[in-house]
This record gives sequence, C-alpha cells and structure tokens, in this order.
Amino acid sequence: MQATAAVPLSPSARGRLNFLALAGVYGALVLACVVTLAAAGDLSLGRNPWDNLLKSLADFSRPSFLDVWFGPTRLEYRGDDGVLLRVENRREVEATFLWALVRATWTTFQIATLGSLLAAVLALPLALLSARNLHAPRVLAGAARGVLDVARAVHTLVFGLVLVGIVGLGPTAGILAIALHSMGSYGKLFAESIESLDRAAIDAVRATGASPPQVFFNAVWPSVLPQFVGNHLYVWEYNIRDSTILGLIGAGGLGLLVSEAVSLFQWSRLATLLLVIVALVMGFDALSRRIREALR
Amino acid sequence: MSIASDGLVVRINDLAVEADGRVLLQLPRLQIAAGERVAIVGANGAGKSTLLRVLGGFVRPARGEVEVLGRRLDTLDRAGWRRLRFETGQLLQGLHLVPRLTARENVLIGALARPGLPAWRSWARCFPPALVAEADAALDTLGLAAMRHLRADRLSGGERQKVGLARLQLQRPRLVLADEPTAALDPAATAQACAALCLAAAEATLLTVVHQPSLLPLLADRVIGLDAGRIVFDCPLAAVDAALLDALYAAPARPAPPGTQGAAEVREAPDDGGHDGGNSELAAARLAAG
Repeated sequence: MQATAAVPLSPSARGRLNFLALAGVYGALVLACVVTLAAAGDLSLGRNPWDNLLKSLADFSRPSFLDVWFGPTRLEYRGDDGVLLRVENRREVEATFLWALVRATWTTFQIATLGSLLAAVLALPLALLSARNLHAPRVLAGAARGVLDVARAVHTLVFGLVLVGIVGLGPTAGILAIALHSMGSYGKLFAESIESLDRAAIDAVRATGASPPQVFFNAVWPSVLPQFVGNHLYVWEYNIRDSTILGLIGAGGLGLLVSEAVSLFQWSRLATLLLVIVALVMGFDALSRRIREALR
Repeated sequence: MSIASDGLVVRINDLAVEADGRVLLQLPRLQIAAGERVAIVGANGAGKSTLLRVLGGFVRPARGEVEVLGRRLDTLDRAGWRRLRFETGQLLQGLHLVPRLTARENVLIGALARPGLPAWRSWARCFPPALVAEADAALDTLGLAAMRHLRADRLSGGERQKVGLARLQLQRPRLVLADEPTAALDPAATAQACAALCLAAAEATLLTVVHQPSLLPLLADRVIGLDAGRIVFDCPLAAVDAALLDALYAAPARPAPPGTQGAAEVREAPDDGGHDGGNSELAAARLAAG
C-alpha cells in the first residue's frame, strides 16, 4: 500500500464507488435470504401447485353471487351411499349471504371512518408538539415524536389482536386499532403540513396590525386546511384497505367473512368477497384522489 | 391624525443594528417629518432594508432610540404594536401574499385591523359589501380587475406586487415603508405601481428603498444615501445628481470602516433570526430586477 501513490478520487468517481458498494451490500442481503431459505428447505411450491392453481381458478371463475340468479333452486347433498342428506335452495342461501356481505361492508366502512377520525383527533395535538417550526419544549416535542413513531411502527393487526383481548370481539376493537396505528401516520403528515407553512405570508398579515385570531383565520387556516383535508382523505382511503383485513382477528367486517370462506374452502364466496373489496377500495381511492386534486 | 407634537413621524437617536457581531446599521440621528416623501438609496448590503425592518418592528436594534408615529418602539406592548402596525403600511420584500387566498381576499387583509370591523367577519372572511367594493376598486386602479378571484399563487410576480399595493391602499396607513416596490415590474407596470404607491401614501409619510434613479422624482422629495450602514448624504431631491449617485454605488471599492468588516459584501441585511425566510426571495427579486 505504501508503495502505490494515493490517487485522489474526483467527487463523482467517489459517488459512483459508494453506489457500487451499496448495490453490493444489497445483492449480498438478497443472496443471503435466498440461500438460507433454500438451505432450510422452505423454498418449495408444495406438492402439486399446478393442479391446485387450476382448481382454485376454476372455483374463482364462478363467484358465488351469480347463484342468486342462476343457482339451482334445489341442490341435493347425498352421502357416498346415495342417501339424501340435505336439500338446499342455492338462490336463497346466496341471497342471505349477500345481505350479510352488505352488512359486513358497512361495518368495514364504519371501522375505517370512525378509526380515521379518532386518529386525526389524537394526532393533531401531537403534531402541533412535534412540528419543528412551532418550537415546542424539547422534552414534549421528543415525547410526541416518540409516541408517533411507535404508533407507526406497530401494525394495525397487532394493535387489533391486543385490543380484541381488552375490549372484546367486534368493531370497537377495529376502530381503536385503526386509530392507534393511523395516529402515527397522521401525526407525521400534519406536522409536515404545519412545517411547510409560509412564515413570510403570516408575517405579512401580522404586519397589517391583525390580531392573533385574525392572523390564524386569514393566513394559517386557509393554508393548512386543504392539506389537512387531503391528509385525512389519504389516511381514510388507506384505512378502508386496512380494515377489510381486520375481521380476520375478530374485529368485525369483511375480514370475518374472508376468514370464514377460506377455512370452509368456499372459493366462490371468496371470489365474491374479493370483488366487493376491490370495488370498495378502488371506488373510494378514485373519489378521494379526485377530491384531493381539486383541493390542490 | 395625532402625530407627535413636533410633527415627526420617525425619530432615530444613536441607533445601531448588529447581526453576528457585524454592524449593519449605525445612525446617530435621523428624523422624518409628517408628509415627507423620502427615498433611501445605496448599494446592496448598505442597510436600506434593515432600516425599514427596524421601523416595521421586524428587526430589534442592538441599541438606540427609535420612535415611530410618536411611539417609542422599545416601550410598546402587543396591542400597541398592533395599532402601530396598522398605521404603518409595509411593502417589504419577502412579505408575501397568502398563497391560497384570492387576490381580493389578500387585499381585504389590509382592512383587518380597521376599527369597527366586527371580529366574526374578519375571522370568517365574510366582509361587508362596502369593504369588498373598496377592495375591488383598489384592484381596478391597478389593472387587476380580471384577477380578483384568482388565487395569489396563480398570479405572476408583478401581479402579486400590485396586489400588495392594493392591500396597502385598504390599510390607509400614516407611514408607508416600501422596499423596492417596483422590483418585479416591467416599465409600464412600474409607472402604474409608483402612481398607486403615491395614491396609497397620499396622506401619509412615504419611505421607499429605490434602486432605479429614474424613479426618484416620482417617489421622493428627499433622498438619503446609505453606505455600509451609515448615512453618506441626506439632501433634497433637487441636490441629487448623477455624480452623487455614482460615487455612492462605487463605494464597495473603498475599504470598509472599522467594525464593519465585510459589511459591503453582505448581499442583504440578515434579520434578527426570529423572522426566517425572505432573504432568498430578496435575492431572487433582485435578480429579476436586474
């Protein structure tokens, strides 16, 4: 080393070397994941994935809701020896399921809506404390930031599992779980909106001799409100997606029906459920995106 | 219209403004009488904007006595500051419009502190029709009649400057502090803006930072030359000639006086730190002005 003269690297060359090093680390991580999985024998697709896939697809291709109109009115279940076990009117059964589905969709919507609102209410004071340009006392600001970070780090499902144990099964646990996790996202978004305030515009209003409430309503409020509404729609939209899964842990809503359909291998019902979930999420996404664009 | 008994609108004694140990402004004595129209000229970093910011209350001096409209600035409480700010119309660089309000709403901000305006109206931004008509008239005189419902962030730099002028008209100040009010304007708009400024300040005292010598006759009858924070000359407009101005703007070649190391290189006066933002806009506006 001492023999070779140190060649000074240009900044761009050093930047490229750093990037290469970063890419190398990433590649090594990916390789480590694959190798350890393969070594443990966990990298398999099961015994006959192809047949299973075709079977599932066949079931999926006939969503259960079609039975309401096209299903047999008299479906006979027989045992292996040909004895009639049960007779079912498919149309009636699926119509009942469809009603349950509508109610579950509404529950999911309730959980997302009330959870988001509660999250916003909880997050606002924490955002005010953690916004850097408001210069809250450092201890309080640090504490608020810590609470928000923890809330963001713990997944809604984890909050849900804990809360189901505390407040029992049902939508209340879902609402609280959504609220606690989203509080973290909200706090961050709110704080960013507050930090992006145009100080100079506020000073300009103050320079006309306006009183503090006048400054707030004429400079702060009009700047911050559209951003808050946009943030709220964004988190609400996200929570509608999140709350469709909360039923899996007993917090009510569509997830409950999903878990039921999966455990009973009712793939056609799962297909109906997925259609509803996709329609709900995409519909709300489109609506919220349009409102947020109009607010810009 | 109770001006101090001696008719002075601005009275400065032994003023010094410092930032980071540098002296930005050092004025042993400056007095401006009611109704005077004063222009401040000088190179970048001479302390012109700092002087206006001291008078507007955005920069606190290190020492000295400043009296504006008969009030000692260091004795004012919050309510006193609000009354003084209402009577002092400020058109400073980096004091922006509220981006999400319309041009008309921005103009109406000038009337927020008018006595007699009910508080709920000023909070709900639901102003009496007479006031709205006044705002529209102010916009019309500046050729912005078509823009009154446009949001401020959709306006061009020149249009924003004019909206600021219209806001000033509604404030009906007794003292106007204007920092390069024509910085972002083309020649036609410059004339229009000068006329509007004189209209808004018709009954007031006008203190303007001017960069284009051609504007001096429009805006001033007294000219103060600043260099490195000190007054170089203070004379009636008639006594100002090209040679005097050339000497002033050539000043950065001259060594800085003791205690002001590098002050001439400061692009623009920094402020007290409590008021951030603005300096980058200052630089941008200056570039736009050429």
